[in-house]
Amino acid sequence: MTDETRNGRVRTSHHPRTDPEREGRDYYGIAPIKEHTWTWEVPVYFWLGGIGAGAHVVSTIARFLGSDDRAFLRASRYTTLLTMVLSPVLLIMDLGRPERFYNMLRIVKWRSAMSMGTWALTIFGLLSGMVAASQAARDGLLGRGNALARLVGALPARSLSILALPFGYFVGAYTGVLLAMTSVPMWARNAVLMGPTFLSSALSTGLSAVSLVLHLGGWGERRTLEFLRRAERMSLAIEAALVAASLVRMGRWSKPLFSKKLAPLFVGGTLVGGLAVPFALLWGRESRPKGVLASVLVLLGGLAFRFAMIEGGRHSARDPQATFTFARKENLPLPQQNVQDGHASG
Amino acid sequence: MATGFLTDTTVCIGCKACEVACKQWNQLPADGYELTGDSYDNTKQLSGTTWRHVAFIENPKKRRLTGDVDLVALAEDVTEQLPGGAELDALGRWAFMSDVCKHCVEAPCQQDCPTGAIIRNEFDNVYIQPDVCNGCGYCVTACPYGVITRVPHDGRAFKCTLCYDRQKDGLEPACAKACPTDSIQFGEVGELERRAEERVAELHAKGYTQAFVYGTPEVGGTGGIGGTHSKFILMDEPETYNLPRHPLLPQAKLNQASAASIAAAALLGAVVAFAFGR
Repeated sequence: MTDETRNGRVRTSHHPRTDPEREGRDYYGIAPIKEHTWTWEVPVYFWLGGIGAGAHVVSTIARFLGSDDRAFLRASRYTTLLTMVLSPVLLIMDLGRPERFYNMLRIVKWRSAMSMGTWALTIFGLLSGMVAASQAARDGLLGRGNALARLVGALPARSLSILALPFGYFVGAYTGVLLAMTSVPMWARNAVLMGPTFLSSALSTGLSAVSLVLHLGGWGERRTLEFLRRAERMSLAIEAALVAASLVRMGRWSKPLFSKKLAPLFVGGTLVGGLAVPFALLWGRESRPKGVLASVLVLLGGLAFRFAMIEGGRHSARDPQATFTFARKENLPLPQQNVQDGHASG
Repeated sequence: MATGFLTDTTVCIGCKACEVACKQWNQLPADGYELTGDSYDNTKQLSGTTWRHVAFIENPKKRRLTGDVDLVALAEDVTEQLPGGAELDALGRWAFMSDVCKHCVEAPCQQDCPTGAIIRNEFDNVYIQPDVCNGCGYCVTACPYGVITRVPHDGRAFKCTLCYDRQKDGLEPACAKACPTDSIQFGEVGELERRAEERVAELHAKGYTQAFVYGTPEVGGTGGIGGTHSKFILMDEPETYNLPRHPLLPQAKLNQASAASIAAAALLGAVVAFAFGR
């Protein structure tokens, strides 16, 4: 109860917030669903996993089509390795009972996006780890001429990369599907486009990470850098289209993204800083500072996107009206279902 | 055999005996001593440490009851004759409702659980195996009724077990046992459904035509959930009791979401190939 009704007045047990005449009923403003309990590890993992997956997808396709730029392959393989080493650590840290992380590997569950994601991450991590290890052996990081280096160096890196490709795609996309398969209105409303949007962001951040490494180190062939620039531009365009389509689909349930708290992150960090500005930077004359800046902005924009989506879901779950308006007959997946209009009205 | 609850809110007196019995039998910790000011409800909501929650809803007939209120005059001001000769004064009427896990037929939490900790036990109840749960928190976001939470300090997710241990010994759940008005009834789901229909028909015959069953495939257990094993007889809009009207099974769109992601993967791969080839 607010202070203005408190001073010098009789305080009844009636609560204005349950006024029967009030538009949009709720129960004392208490959220009918629970908000998620995830902390910073989850959005950071979503971002890193996407980078690793995107970098792998790009270099594998380029290699398959005949790229033999060793610096490019090296940069993408080590980028993926780094993300795949950090990802499980972050995920285990976020568990309520981290010491039981291995229970994730008890079962394979098609209906659970998190179970499938765990398996995809495990397999992708192992395969891309083997690819990176063979790269390391060839780069002499495991010593020269010893048995281990010879053994690891003999791994068929190219075949393993292609084998890891579908799992890489999965790691890039499932994070969006995972959020969609919940009762949080903002995520569930956009169920179909969440996976594609996260995958496109994974690809653009993966491309940017590799191109950033090449730019900073002054590595890579000119042809590769031009390819990366073109691919970055195209994937940013697709990502922008998917984000726009997602916002249209979310409709009124996208409100948290434009709230005072999250608008700087989402509008400033993702829409402007992570999509529009780098897209503009990638046009016109190519220069190293411009390329570096564009890559950094895309990477930060991808991180902002994941934080905004996950925090947005928290705000969405807190809003009773978001849940109540979403849990309506017209939003059910099967319109032919025998559903009456709630209850017999008196 | 599937067992469940039928919670008839029309005979609930808001005594909270179910809340207390549940806490005691299941040895759940206290939730603190916060006074909410929301009527007599200081529990607020279901959580990992509160598996029964009694909602207190006041339906005053006069809208603005704050300010200089003469409660006696309000109580004497009969605004409406209720069916059965009862009178409704301007203070309105209470509604109480003891909320609990819905024990969905197709449970979103069970489908999302990546460890297989959430199962259907031999009584067809949705049960979290505490020795398997690793506290990933995915079920918390899955539940369309806001039942499960992850308990801080413990780290695992908890909710109503429908007194699995008592059922194994042939006893009814603690809340149903403690309920003094039989507002909470425990039994076989088919039998409870029959009883619910009978009770609603009886209420309709008495003139209370707003009564309905919540938790059927028509209302409360919709969108692929296929109904719930905890049913409620409600007298007002579901939202008044903080319940979603037509919740949806989130995983109902899994195939579409997967197909869209595969299509996006193909498109993005083609774009990368195109960018390389140019």
